[in-house]
Amino acid sequence: MKFRFLTLAILGLAIFIGPNLQAAEWPTKPVRIFVSFPPGGSSDLVARLLSTHLSDKFGEQFVVENKPGAGGTVAAVALKREKADGHAFMLSNLAPYSIAPTLFKKVPYDALKDFTHVSYIGTVYLGLFVSPDLGVKNLAEYVAKAKAEPGKLDFGSSGVGSWSNVVGFQFNKLANIELVSIPYKGSRPMRQDFRSGVIPIMFDALPQNIPAINDGTTVALAISAPARTRSNPDLMTFREQGFDIVAENWLGITAPAGLDPDIIDKMDMALAEIVQLPSVQEKFKFWGLVHERKTTQQFQAYVAEQIEKWKPLIISSGAKK
Amino acid sequence: MDLLNNLALGIETAFSPTNLLFCFVGVTLGTFIGVLPGIGALAAVAMLLPVSFHLEPATALVMLAGVYYGAEYGGSIASIILNIPGTPSASITCLDGHPMAQQGRAGVALFMTAIASFCGGIMGVLVMTLLSPLLSAVALSFGPTEYFSVMVLGLIAASIVSQSGALKGILMVTVGVMLSTVGVDINTGVERFTGDIIELRDGVSLVIVAMGLFGISEVVISIHGNLIERKEYKINFASFLPKRDEWVRSIGPVLRGGSIGSFFGALPGTGQTVASYIGYAIEKRVSKNSAQFGKGAIEGVMAPESANNAAAQTAFIPTLTLGIPGSTTMALMLGALMIHGIIPGPKLMTEHADLFWGLIVSFLIGNVLLLVLNIPLIGIWVRLLRVPYYLMYPTIVVLICVGVYSINNSIFDIWVTLVFGVMGYLMRIFHFEPAPLLIGFVLGSMIEEFMRRSLLLSRGDFMVFLERPISAGFLLTAALVLAWALWSSFKAQDD
Repeated sequence: MKFRFLTLAILGLAIFIGPNLQAAEWPTKPVRIFVSFPPGGSSDLVARLLSTHLSDKFGEQFVVENKPGAGGTVAAVALKREKADGHAFMLSNLAPYSIAPTLFKKVPYDALKDFTHVSYIGTVYLGLFVSPDLGVKNLAEYVAKAKAEPGKLDFGSSGVGSWSNVVGFQFNKLANIELVSIPYKGSRPMRQDFRSGVIPIMFDALPQNIPAINDGTTVALAISAPARTRSNPDLMTFREQGFDIVAENWLGITAPAGLDPDIIDKMDMALAEIVQLPSVQEKFKFWGLVHERKTTQQFQAYVAEQIEKWKPLIISSGAKK
Repeated sequence: MDLLNNLALGIETAFSPTNLLFCFVGVTLGTFIGVLPGIGALAAVAMLLPVSFHLEPATALVMLAGVYYGAEYGGSIASIILNIPGTPSASITCLDGHPMAQQGRAGVALFMTAIASFCGGIMGVLVMTLLSPLLSAVALSFGPTEYFSVMVLGLIAASIVSQSGALKGILMVTVGVMLSTVGVDINTGVERFTGDIIELRDGVSLVIVAMGLFGISEVVISIHGNLIERKEYKINFASFLPKRDEWVRSIGPVLRGGSIGSFFGALPGTGQTVASYIGYAIEKRVSKNSAQFGKGAIEGVMAPESANNAAAQTAFIPTLTLGIPGSTTMALMLGALMIHGIIPGPKLMTEHADLFWGLIVSFLIGNVLLLVLNIPLIGIWVRLLRVPYYLMYPTIVVLICVGVYSINNSIFDIWVTLVFGVMGYLMRIFHFEPAPLLIGFVLGSMIEEFMRRSLLLSRGDFMVFLERPISAGFLLTAALVLAWALWSSFKAQDD
């Protein structure tokens, strides 16, 4: 009798502390981090940098797995199918979690309910860039020029429904100007045409344009940050020139829904430490990635808020069918 | 004298023991990656990228570049031996390379492709050494209008690749163009032919189409009662050497292929596949021996192999001097530089002269290494022909699946490859060729994209294609090629 009681007690205890034990042992095998872009892009580089530090910290390999396609939704669907045991994460971003839910007719996941948004990494800002030949130095001059030649100027963006396209239309509406949209398959071919003078104006992420800004071949009229950034303090924002535009292509670490709170904490704490390392800060600055501390709760609220923020903009850009 | 100083600097960098070692590692790995069907330079470069973070920038790039152009050497080997291209750009080499192997001349074909690859590579490097600033200016003068016209020329040149009659060729090109429209239309955001499958939103990748149509279908068709007994191949060095006449006949194709390849390589966004197909198509037009094309003509092997290797070298021109990578693999190389804080662009040639010229000299070294490496390997590749089919083909199917999976880490892609395999099998039964379909697929989406962009910019005015001189020149050439093709087919009917 005594013996049976003891067995039950141990069993009960085991059931009770079981999940914690499992969490205590995490990670027990290599951890995968999905990246929704092909190798070589800035997101991929961020994921590889973080995974090196995470591997050192936890003593298991953190492996980057590129699953590009369909505006990041392919990677998000793959993540949703994974077990929430802390061995699968994704370097999440704006496109699949803030834009896709509104943009696409059918999205096979709920950006909030099907995932645990674990840790916020940082954000990249968008810029309005013009060729020096256009002869404008700020938004006021630019708007005046566009108003003088309605329907004559072209602006490039990374395709219908991309954040650069949506913000492009948002700006045209706010400034009450008419420009012709020239969509591209991403930033790379667009910058090629911008360099050869095919399009004089483009909306594009800031980081890849910093070298051209520094050597004078590209003029940055405004960036989509809420206030001037520490890394590029001489670039003016849309807000300070009278246009209320803030657009953030955020990066974070996301897991499938139902991840153990202990693992969330461990992962978030580790990442909060890693992003503060001077060597990481230096790389982030070089890539134009701006970090600020958000707790897991703040990050989850932020993701929800971003979906609502982009919804009306996507619809009014005409991308949503 | 600047050039000599620069080359001296380059030699100093490239001949350091570390860089020599990594150049060797890169090209060796590249060759083997190229041989394996489906696994291309992209996967290998992606896997090596984290390793390169720990190397000096010049060393990292020497190694990654070695993998990249090394793969072009290896790509044709499987085309010749197995009729299965190792890389999409080598699929055109199947057309004449494999018939040579069937005639028991695999060794000669392999020997000559190594030579063609070497000559093409060296031509590309010379173009890069002498003409980088010029070609980057040319690349910048190419807007959507010019790209459209050059693609039209390419498509017309390619539709005459077909051996089974012009009608079937044009039909296959059309099917290829239609397949290329699958995915989200970038101008409107409308999904075309995706059937609400999210994996199809970005269209189908070139590697999948090439591996399905050429690779899987070859495996299936050989099970299909076609298990001819294997010939005993002579394996000694003398049997690999081509006849004197073949050496002479190869000179023209190598030079033409190398020039075509150097040009297309330097245009960001075209790439080796376009280069090798157009190289083949033009060679077939101008060659005195065009009747033999498709039946094992040495010219049909030399021209595309020279073209794709030249293109693999000159692809570095826009990547390094403009900071505009022409392909995902090239974007990875930019990534490797950027992680070290080096920004590719017009100033790279002066600010990082050691890197730029070191890389060029390493290309020369790498091409010599590849030649030295590839010739002794011919014996091994030819021996592969003795491996029984029942061991060889399951292995190939596995390799293709692994290769296709490695592009996007996607199981779905493997299924799509199998669908294309079935399609390729049916096409072969009814004597439709996959080559025109593939070039239609490659060029179709680009033609559409560039045409619509040109028309958006010209506000719907079609005259823009004729008003711009470069564009008008290409369209005129395209019209001439078409007229010539029609004229010669009428003439053939009269005879």
